[in-house]
Amino acid sequence: MKLLPGPLRRRGRDEDEETPRRGNGNGWRNGRTVEADEDAKEREKQADRERMKAAALEVPIQALGYVDERTGAGPFLRGFLFRKVPKGTNWFYTLGSATMFAFISQAVTGVFLAMYYRPSAVEAYSSIQHINDDVFLGQFVHGMHKWGSSVMVILVFAHMGRVFFFGAYKYPRELNWIIGVVLLILTMAMAFTGYLLPFDQRSFWATVVGVNINASGPLLGPYLADFLRGGSEFGATTLSRFYSIHMLLIPGLIAALIGAHLYLVAKLGTTAPFWLRAEKKRDLAREEI
Amino acid sequence: MNKTQKERYLREYYILKDQGKPFFPYAVLKDSVMAAIVLLVIIVMSIVLGAELGPKADPTTTTYTPRPEWYFFFLFELLRVIKPPALVFIATIGVPTICMVLLILLPFFDRNPERHPLRRPIATIAGITTIAAMAYLTIEGALAGPPTQIELKTAPQFESGKNVMASSGCLGCHRVGENGNAGPGPALTHVAGRLPRQAIARTLVNPTAPMPSYSRLQERNPKQFNELVDYLGSLK
Amino acid sequence: MASDPSQRPHKPKSKYTADRGMPGAFEGETVTRRALFSGGVVAAGGIASAAFGLPALGFALGPVFEKTEPTRYEDVGPEADFNPQTYVPKMITLVPDIGEPGKTTIYVRRKDPTRDTDKLNYPYVAISTRCAHLGCPVRYVQAAERFICPCHGGVYQFDGKVAGGPPVRPLDRFETKVQNGRVLVGPRFSLNSKLDKFKPRDPSNHLDGLWHYLYPSRPTT
Repeated sequence: MKLLPGPLRRRGRDEDEETPRRGNGNGWRNGRTVEADEDAKEREKQADRERMKAAALEVPIQALGYVDERTGAGPFLRGFLFRKVPKGTNWFYTLGSATMFAFISQAVTGVFLAMYYRPSAVEAYSSIQHINDDVFLGQFVHGMHKWGSSVMVILVFAHMGRVFFFGAYKYPRELNWIIGVVLLILTMAMAFTGYLLPFDQRSFWATVVGVNINASGPLLGPYLADFLRGGSEFGATTLSRFYSIHMLLIPGLIAALIGAHLYLVAKLGTTAPFWLRAEKKRDLAREEI
Repeated sequence: MNKTQKERYLREYYILKDQGKPFFPYAVLKDSVMAAIVLLVIIVMSIVLGAELGPKADPTTTTYTPRPEWYFFFLFELLRVIKPPALVFIATIGVPTICMVLLILLPFFDRNPERHPLRRPIATIAGITTIAAMAYLTIEGALAGPPTQIELKTAPQFESGKNVMASSGCLGCHRVGENGNAGPGPALTHVAGRLPRQAIARTLVNPTAPMPSYSRLQERNPKQFNELVDYLGSLK
Repeated sequence: MASDPSQRPHKPKSKYTADRGMPGAFEGETVTRRALFSGGVVAAGGIASAAFGLPALGFALGPVFEKTEPTRYEDVGPEADFNPQTYVPKMITLVPDIGEPGKTTIYVRRKDPTRDTDKLNYPYVAISTRCAHLGCPVRYVQAAERFICPCHGGVYQFDGKVAGGPPVRPLDRFETKVQNGRVLVGPRFSLNSKLDKFKPRDPSNHLDGLWHYLYPSRPTT
């Protein structure tokens, strides 16, 4: 009763013992008029709901607090998510993340295709036919991967062009540009190794010409071509080599370089568009470098 | 950029950054919309264009015309226009390697602190020229047809002669309209304006090297030979 | 000036740690425990990396240095099938045991002593359809007696020499011999523009004059 703290005291019962009944029982209840009493009850119910909501929110807050205490991720995420982007950031700046998204789409559709694809010179073509004809949504996923590669090449060149014309490769972002050009070269290498895999006429001959282009370099060229083909003739191991390079080697390199690229973008910030000039603030003391 | 220029850039940059908005949710919203658009485009392309396979790989073919994917057409066209054999490795390895090296080293030889395109004319013009050249080579590469097909429109009575020409290997050295190769022989699109019919027939039988002689065709199949001469005589 | 390290008088350092003032040095010590362990870590790390890296590298690069196929001769038909005036297409197997992808088409004709003035002494001329520019499949056009490549405009004459376009050397040929009245086709070889025989090269590899030093023969062939 009185020993219980205010919020835990149950309404209605303890009051009876405290406040003696007044009046004749008609029009008064618990020492208040009936209307006032009902208003008071409403307010109490609302206060109860607020308390329950606060208690419920405690659950995810404490869960996140548990993870944050053990990983220190809070400050990092706050810094990454709530960092400021310069004034004037517009839709041109979305090309980079659009390219990364196209890459993720290719990776996911690639994983599903790899569950049905057979990388042998004899069975490759028929396994793709099987994907197209028999597997549920097979042709759709295959089409997404095939057209996704063209979309990704377009986006990566568009992103590079945007960075070039905005002058965003200059100080202090030179290293980011270099990582980006390497990513461009790796993307073209993915396209080259990938389109051998269906093993139809176009794939086969385009790859023959591509490998022979490598062979045209003086002295080392033929050895590079032998490495790609796995021998002096286009043979059984060539398809496996291209499959391994396309599935494992280059995506690993691309993922690592995208990580480095994003780190530099977050650390250095994106440039402001070249048509904006900062207004000179009179109070320069407030600047931080 | 020297130290003053770097500091001036950083000062200006941090003012503009301070006046900006938080990455989440403003930039993330634009990125998400763009990602959704990209996904939609890929899905629509997959549904509308499908993913049909061509015929199975056949290394024994002699009739197939190999072509690369469209994003390599500019390299393909470069290989077609660089004809002298001694320059082949420049087109295959030299030019692409030089371009890649120039791209990677761009921030090191472009030290101009200006970022506005109109205030750095060399970079802007170089960029636009490169894009235009690649676009032109890509389109030309896409239009390059196989050497056994003539697309030039012709009157119906010359159709058979056109077919004889297409299957006789002429397009290997001559251009007719959009088809064929620009060498070692001259373009034949308007040959009838330069040579009368008799001269055309004489050249076919008794050509200047390295053109082969079609006298055997005249002996074995005079009808086809005459159709060929008639067709060539119609190319004014 | 005196503050510039390269201008100060240079005292040669003693190899004994006691002279260099290292704490804990004892008489006659030249290598500290720290230096020994640091060097040991680098050496052990190097050995571990090599132990796992070199075999992996060898595995990936192995095919570049070994010749995997023995020399084979393949029967392409009786002598009566072939004549000196025109080419007959035949299919042979380049890489065995993988079926269709291992085959290729070749053009075969009997050698004509009046037209073929080269020094190769094979009874039959078996020409490869692999264009010497970048490997596209060439086709023989009877009307013009030329081989035409559909890719980049290469044209070859009747004997395989380049007539025009970017190819860098004549079409490859295959060794031929006759056994029991049947024509057998053997391994490939490459030619320069004078029709001298070379071990097989990839397309785009020049062989004339000094060029063949830039494109030497490789172990896989």
